[in-house]
Amino acid sequence: MNTASAPAEIVAEPLLSLAAITKRFGSFTALSDVSLDIRPGEIHCILGENGAGKSTLCNLIFGVHRPDAGAMRYRGARFEPSGPADSLAQGIAMVHQHFSLVPDMSVVDNVLLGREKGVLNRKQCARQLEQLAVDYGLPLDPFAKIEDISVGERQRVEIVKCLIRDPSLFVLDEPTAVLLPDEIAALLEVCRRVASSGRAVVLVTHKLAEIKKIADRVTVLRGGRVVATSDRPAAEIDALVRAMIQGSVETLDQSAASILGLEPVRHVGHDSGKQRAPRAKIEALQIDGLTVKDYQGVTRLDNFTLTVDRGEIVGVAGVEGNGQSELTAVLAGMMSPSDGRIHLDNTDLTARSPKEITAAGVGIVPEDRHAVGCVTGMSLAENIYLNRLDEFTRFGFLRRAALESEAATLMQRFDVRARGPGALFSSLSGGNQQKAVLAREITLPNLACLVAAQPTRGLDVGAVAAVYSHIRAACDRGVAVLLVSSELDELLTVADRIVVLYRGRIMGSCMADPDRREAIGAMMAGQPQ
Amino acid sequence: MTWELFAVFLGSSIRLATPLLLAGVGEMVSERAGVLNMSIEGMMLTAAFAAAVGSWATGNPMLGLLIGTIAVQPVALLQAVLSNTLRANQIVSGIGINILVLGATTLAYREIFGARSRAEIPGLTKVKPPLLGDIPVFGSAVFEQVWLFYAGIALIVATALVLRYTSIGIAIHAAGAEPKAVDKSGLSVTRIRYGCVLFAGFMASLAGAFLSIGDIHTFTEGMTRGAGYLAIASVIFGKWKIGGTVLACLLFGAATALQFQLPALGIAVPNALLIMLPYLLALLAVGGLVGRQLAPATLGEPYRR
Amino acid sequence: MTTLPPQPEAAANTAARTIATSGFAIRPALLVPVLAVGFAALIGLALIAVIGVSVPSAIAAFVDGTLGSPYAMAASINRSTVFALVGFGFILANRANLTNVGGEGQIAVGGIAATAVALYGHVGALPLGLSFILPMLAAVLAGALWGALAAVLKVKSGTNEVISTLLLSFVGVWLLYWCVQSPALLRKPMTSSATLPESLEIPDTTQLPLLTGDYSFPLHIGLPITIVIAVVVAVLLSKTVLGLRLRAVGLNPVASNRAGISYARTVIFALAMAGALGGLAGALMLLGEQYTLKDGFSSGYGFDGLVAGLLSRGSVTGVIAASLLFGFMRSGGINMEMVAAVPTALVVVIQGLIVITLAGATLFIERWERQ
Repeated sequence: MNTASAPAEIVAEPLLSLAAITKRFGSFTALSDVSLDIRPGEIHCILGENGAGKSTLCNLIFGVHRPDAGAMRYRGARFEPSGPADSLAQGIAMVHQHFSLVPDMSVVDNVLLGREKGVLNRKQCARQLEQLAVDYGLPLDPFAKIEDISVGERQRVEIVKCLIRDPSLFVLDEPTAVLLPDEIAALLEVCRRVASSGRAVVLVTHKLAEIKKIADRVTVLRGGRVVATSDRPAAEIDALVRAMIQGSVETLDQSAASILGLEPVRHVGHDSGKQRAPRAKIEALQIDGLTVKDYQGVTRLDNFTLTVDRGEIVGVAGVEGNGQSELTAVLAGMMSPSDGRIHLDNTDLTARSPKEITAAGVGIVPEDRHAVGCVTGMSLAENIYLNRLDEFTRFGFLRRAALESEAATLMQRFDVRARGPGALFSSLSGGNQQKAVLAREITLPNLACLVAAQPTRGLDVGAVAAVYSHIRAACDRGVAVLLVSSELDELLTVADRIVVLYRGRIMGSCMADPDRREAIGAMMAGQPQ
Repeated sequence: MTWELFAVFLGSSIRLATPLLLAGVGEMVSERAGVLNMSIEGMMLTAAFAAAVGSWATGNPMLGLLIGTIAVQPVALLQAVLSNTLRANQIVSGIGINILVLGATTLAYREIFGARSRAEIPGLTKVKPPLLGDIPVFGSAVFEQVWLFYAGIALIVATALVLRYTSIGIAIHAAGAEPKAVDKSGLSVTRIRYGCVLFAGFMASLAGAFLSIGDIHTFTEGMTRGAGYLAIASVIFGKWKIGGTVLACLLFGAATALQFQLPALGIAVPNALLIMLPYLLALLAVGGLVGRQLAPATLGEPYRR
Repeated sequence: MTTLPPQPEAAANTAARTIATSGFAIRPALLVPVLAVGFAALIGLALIAVIGVSVPSAIAAFVDGTLGSPYAMAASINRSTVFALVGFGFILANRANLTNVGGEGQIAVGGIAATAVALYGHVGALPLGLSFILPMLAAVLAGALWGALAAVLKVKSGTNEVISTLLLSFVGVWLLYWCVQSPALLRKPMTSSATLPESLEIPDTTQLPLLTGDYSFPLHIGLPITIVIAVVVAVLLSKTVLGLRLRAVGLNPVASNRAGISYARTVIFALAMAGALGGLAGALMLLGEQYTLKDGFSSGYGFDGLVAGLLSRGSVTGVIAASLLFGFMRSGGINMEMVAAVPTALVVVIQGLIVITLAGATLFIERWERQ
């Protein structure tokens, strides 16, 4: 394996090659002096943790952005796409991490978008889709509306949109984040079939398990630079990990390691390996028969019943879109349930306002911090104390100095890095923003229950470790923690108990034991155990 | 109420609804693609003025109509540039254009015709369709309309078909709902939106021309009197679908027709209340009292890659 | 439960998106509004030439109308206070990302309420200035109601307040028409068929007292009232928790709701305040200058105030500057029409050009401000 940036000896003429690519966004350098090449017929994985520059790399290849320095060559000629249209015309197709599908249009219409002119021939397209389903194992209902199909099926639509154009280079950006365990296996099989038909597949990921299974070659990105490459990834996995996180696997926080999909998963729970006396079982959060309907009357959460004890971490497993958002929204007071009750220490919190819920001691770390968790246009201090402004009010005036000094203290405690408490929230990195949101919730004066939804999404291992150390500390203080995550490995490592949500219902629950991985995976897919 | 009066009422409703129908459908297409044109009012007024002056100057109402449609395109282009390229606030820029057009048309009218004159202008002709026009009692009153109305119906039907069955139709829909998808499929969101704004301008020009040379054969300052905003309200009422928009426009037209109908029936309602009625209806419509509104997701937001 | 918008508000609703936290600060991009005004003025001069009027005589008439006499100056300043109040209301609501376009209707209902109370509210003999304060309060309430209506629609159904305030404005203006047309309402008793559709003149005690007591310089207490309101609005926006909450809701209503800031209360407060200030503006016009309710008295004032609000990009000093500009422009325009035969529509053209230029320049202003 090479740890220098020089690529391995060229066996076949590369399909795509990048030489010394640099890309900046304002003062932030996303990619620096990146060189790599992709050969036809190979599955090339780009490995790196969140924030390493993988998505930027994909966007450059796909023509969404243009590099500030360096050159790209495709099929031997200079390649400077001015937009996705250029890349598509050249035979490069990409499945993005965040889908770009029109929700209230059918599968066929989404596939036809931009491909035909004039009157649409929907029947012919449907036939083509059926053929692709057979060739590559991508079953789809051509006339279903996107908003009605599951996340895994939506990804299949994205893949089909690419394959129907007969691409030579097929790029997938973090495709497995939203999939069930056996959907992941199916996706990897699709990649194999695509590669074996002579095309090149670029798979961008931070999951090592996938690398081990199908990568032919791997390029490791860290901090926007290529730090390692490998021709035998399965054998060199430890070295790759070391290059990716600049540390060794052993020193890695277990919860952080779990999100990288390092196997085997050592269950640690929140005791961090320390032995503790068994705690007294005191029920804190009691959810009883919670049913939630959305504005169209569709049931999103069905008869959800759960209890979380003090000091316990209960994980809610399941792929996104199975009722987790609604659960979090109701617990936060943003949505009203149509049935059921929520109690915290015998206080009824059903259908209360967010203010009352916060006052009762419930902290929420929302899954989409930009939409729900923070106001990006305001300062860090304002965001941290947004739900406690009354403490900084005198005769209606804001005591800004006090606000900022308190925020500075919090910044220290939670290691939130920013220019200062008055810095614009949007200027913080994702990891620091999440730490700030967490800081706000965990330091609620009478915190009794913490609901954290996808708290480590998009964070690098350092931030992940920080988040979990704070969550564990809260737990030790007796806070009941409800952890909603689509990362099964994360839950297996950190939670005490896991319940599985599927289509709004609890499929089953069990202790968080790595041996139960397959059973839980099956439940996530809708098979009761 | 006699059948004759009812027929006259229907006919008036159609006549008064025609400019709303034309402008409303055009604006609906633009809003589906994600661009809100508050300046429909200004575009209509521009066309009303240009068509009136053109018809008067050339003596030919058809030429007047043509001049009206041509005169609006620069205004529509200005709105398109402001909304898409300069990424200006669509509401502010639309209102600005309305203010500018109001001032400019008033100024120009004063200069050409003097402050008080109401010049007689050659107007568009009415047509009586063969079968429908011969229905006893109703035929003439209801179906004898300015030919622009029937041309408008044809345009609306054509628009509906294009939106549903062609590639440009789904591209327009996608541009408003998920412009990222349009961009990543190689199409240009900007081009689609420009085209839709120009189309809205074209339809608004037909609406404005109808007001001056189609309906009352004259021009008065500020003669659109909020019709453009009613058109926008009709799109909201119609939930951004052609059928609903058409229905809303007919409803507003009927409400306006009541102004003349009720006095004819001897019902004494203060004129001001009747004039207010379409706006009150529009308020009810946009107030969601007639159903929830689901606007295209990116309506009003300029697209940035 | 109140209805929240499903996602952070569309950028389009932020009329003049500003990163300002202070109401009194002068933005570095002050230059652009000045340039916009200058550019529009040049076009105006060109148009004057095109219609055949001699530019120097037009300018002379303009200046005469604005500064030519103490009366003209006082009239201009009175006019400016009306625009300023509407403008303050606009920027207040805009801080919460709400665009109030209904100034004209709010002025109209304010005028109706003030006239009704002044004429028929038996306030003429009240002491301590209550004879004119109560009509003013009535106007404020009426305007607040008008604004709150749009707010309730927004909160309950997510209705875009631009459309609702605009439609309400039309309704308000036609309500005014009805009031002055109908003898059962506010029309003065019809002694003959030639009786004009307007109200009786309000009693002397309900008229706003003049600052100097001299009718050749009719500057009334509307000016100090407006100045006080200016200070209050500026302080509110920049220094109070309420201002911070307005800003939070404007930037992200969902996150603010989660943080315990009531979306409904904030929206209703913001639009009701904007309406209240519009109503007050109507009261100043009626009780301070016109003394008689006439059809169309609010015509154009609402939009002028709106444009002042847009020009100001969120700052109180900007509103004051823009209001003075438009106040004087109006006076100058009226005199230009009387003396130099330049239609007042020219002033409207200039205003439209200013708005368009500014709207188109926001991209550059933001890039400039970021540096």
